[in-house]
This record gives sequence, structure tokens and C-alpha cells, in this order.
Amino acid sequence: MTKEPSPELKLEIKKMIIETLNITDIKPEDVDDEKPLFGSDNALTLDSVDAIEIIMALQRTYGIRIADQSLARYVIRSVNSIAEFILTEQEKNNL
Amino acid sequence: MNTIPYKHKMAAHCESGAVTSLLNNAGLDISEPLVFGISSGIFFAYFHKMKSFAFPTFIVRNKPGSIRNNLAKRLGIKFHAEKFNNPEEGMKRLDELLVKNIPVAVQVDFFYMDYLPEWERVHINVHFIVVVGKSGSKYIISDSYFPNLVELESASLRKARFAGGNMSPKGFFFYPEYIPKEIDYKKAILKGTKKACFYMLKIPIPFVGIKGIRMFARKIVEWPTFARDTEHLSHEIMKINILLEDQGTGGAGFRFMYATFLQQASVILGKPEWSELSKEMMEIGDGWREISLFAARIGKNRELGLDRLKELGNMLNGRADVEERFFRRLKNSI
Repeated sequence: MTKEPSPELKLEIKKMIIETLNITDIKPEDVDDEKPLFGSDNALTLDSVDAIEIIMALQRTYGIRIADQSLARYVIRSVNSIAEFILTEQEKNNL
Repeated sequence: MNTIPYKHKMAAHCESGAVTSLLNNAGLDISEPLVFGISSGIFFAYFHKMKSFAFPTFIVRNKPGSIRNNLAKRLGIKFHAEKFNNPEEGMKRLDELLVKNIPVAVQVDFFYMDYLPEWERVHINVHFIVVVGKSGSKYIISDSYFPNLVELESASLRKARFAGGNMSPKGFFFYPEYIPKEIDYKKAILKGTKKACFYMLKIPIPFVGIKGIRMFARKIVEWPTFARDTEHLSHEIMKINILLEDQGTGGAGFRFMYATFLQQASVILGKPEWSELSKEMMEIGDGWREISLFAARIGKNRELGLDRLKELGNMLNGRADVEERFFRRLKNSI
């Protein structure tokens, strides 16, 4: 069973997103873990171009290739979902 | 209420996903990448000036319907398919099949899939979903882009199946009616791969395959002459990203899915060299993803000068070079 993502991992993800997208006016702690990253509910309101940037940053940072775009839609919907995906993939690779 | 017991699974692409899902539920154990590879799904064509397109565009897979037709031919499967002029008749026929517990793949306009967020829905007439039941005025849908079974109002499904415009669905549906007990996967894989290599390397059409990628690389600098203004050009350049990544391509213009096909095929055929080719195709896909990102960035930032477009052209030429080498090696290994 996949363990619960740590607050440190979630913070790392928020920093990665902010650095990748070169966002200067939002701090990692402003970003909600659960609220959608795409749309107007969260501090970050990302678009499809940002999505591909995040997908590639995940590959560079964690060595995880999200090949499938329909899966990507669900993986990058929130900080929590990204963190859970990273843990699941890391567990798979450790098997 | 009539719902057929149906195992729903997400998939990378709607047509290969619907075909795979129907076959899996009919008892055939086959993966989506195998369906894609056997049906020679990998492809490239660039359309610079075509009557049917207002702006230059490209495709990264074979034409809609080919996945089902090629797979059927190569595996000996028979699909039953119907089209309708009359929406009443088309809906009635669907209901008759559901009463008989037959799940049916239907072609729809993606826009009317109300269960998806509004911002995701665009008018595309070649989306495929599987209808697996009906409850009152709602149909139960297995859509490979959605994580679970969903409901869709009858009125929406009707509009989606009988939407007008380019490649209108005309109520088209299909379902498998015969699956052979014995299937020669090895033969089918080799045949599908051979055909894919032909499309990419040899087909004598100047805008298809590697030649098509090179034409795209050459002609991209002419795109501003087709655009009304910067806004329009920016939109079209950003569409490169959408066509490669966001239209059920499995990522990187189907290259990642083809890599998975080669990996699975290497085991079936006992060809370890195909496992190496699979890794190479993954890397080729990474290069396409770089193109996606570059196009999305310059489009978004309105950096659409000739130097940027030439840079994009050089990246495309780079893909043509590696894909040419790749498909020659693949062809020689068959």
C-alpha cells in the first residue's frame, strides 16, 4: 500500500512548480494541497502550457515519465495527486 | 435500468481505447499498445494547403477507423458496424443492442460529453466512447478519458452522435461480433510493423511519413502568411502542443505508446533487440515533447518571429533524422 505523502514532499512539489513556471508573486505556502491547480480556486491558476511544463519537470526531477496525457490530467490536478503519483511510481521502481 | 457488467479502464487514446475495452470485455486479453502497434497506428502526415483545413496542420496517427479495420484484418476479428441518416433510428438501434447486453462503441462529438469539465470540451467529431447501459433518460458510458463509468443524458448522446460538420459521426457504432479462438499474434505484429515502416519510410507521398516531417520543418516558416494576425498565429502554433500531447495521443504524438508496443512485442516475438528499440522510441518521444513545449511557449509568449519558427523547423528536422534511422533499423529487424 502506498504511504501518505509527507509535507516535505508536497512543499518540494510546490517549489518545483513555482520555479519551473517562473512564478514570482506566489509562495509555496500559498498553494493549497488539495484544490485544483487548474482553474481559479487555487493560488496558482495554470493552463495547458503549464501542464506540459510540469510533466517535463516531473520527468527531470523525479525521473517519472507521464507518457499518457489522459493519466496526466488526473496526476497533475492537485499537489496531493502529484505527490501520491510520485510515491506510487517510486514504490513500483523499488519492487 | 439495463447496465451490462463492464470492466472500465482508462486508456491513452479514445479509438484504440474503445477497441481494446470492447475486446477485453468480450474475453480477449490484449493491451492498448498492442492494438495500436498491430493496426500500424503510428503515422505522420503534414497538410500545408488542403481544402478541408483552413490552416496548415498535421496528424500523428493513421486515419480514424484504421485502428479497428487493420486490427480486425490482422487478427481475424469481425466488427459489426452501422451508420444512420435518421437519429431516431440510430438511437432506437442502440437501445435494442443494450437490451441484448451488447456494449457498443459509438462515434461522438466530444463537446457533448457533459461529464467532462467544460474547459476540456471542444468540438471534435471523432471521439469514441462505449455505451454499456441505460437508466431512465441516461446512458451509462465507458469513456477511456474518464476514470470511472459515467452517465450521459439521452439528449446529449443524441446530439453527440448526430453532430454536423467535418467528419460528422452519422450515428456510427461498432461492436465485436466474432473473435477467433486462436490468434497468431506474432504474424500480426510483424505485419503491422512492416506496414508502419512502409508508411514512415517508403510511401510515395511527399507529405506522409518522414518526408512529411521534413515538409513540416520546411514549411513552418510560411505559417505567418496563413494567419490573420499574431493572435491567430499564436493559437495555431500552440495547437502543435495540443495535437501532440492533448488529444489522446498517449503523449509525444503516440510515440510513447508505440514504444510500449515494441516492448510488449519484443517479449511475444522473443526479439530482445525490439526492447532496445522501445527505449530508443521513448527517447524519440521525449524529443517530440520538447517540440510540444517549445511550440506552446513561443505561442503563449507571442515569440513568433522568423528566428523562432526556424528554430522549431530545426527541431522538427531533428525528429525526422532520428525517426528515419529508427524506422530503418526497425524494418531491418523484422
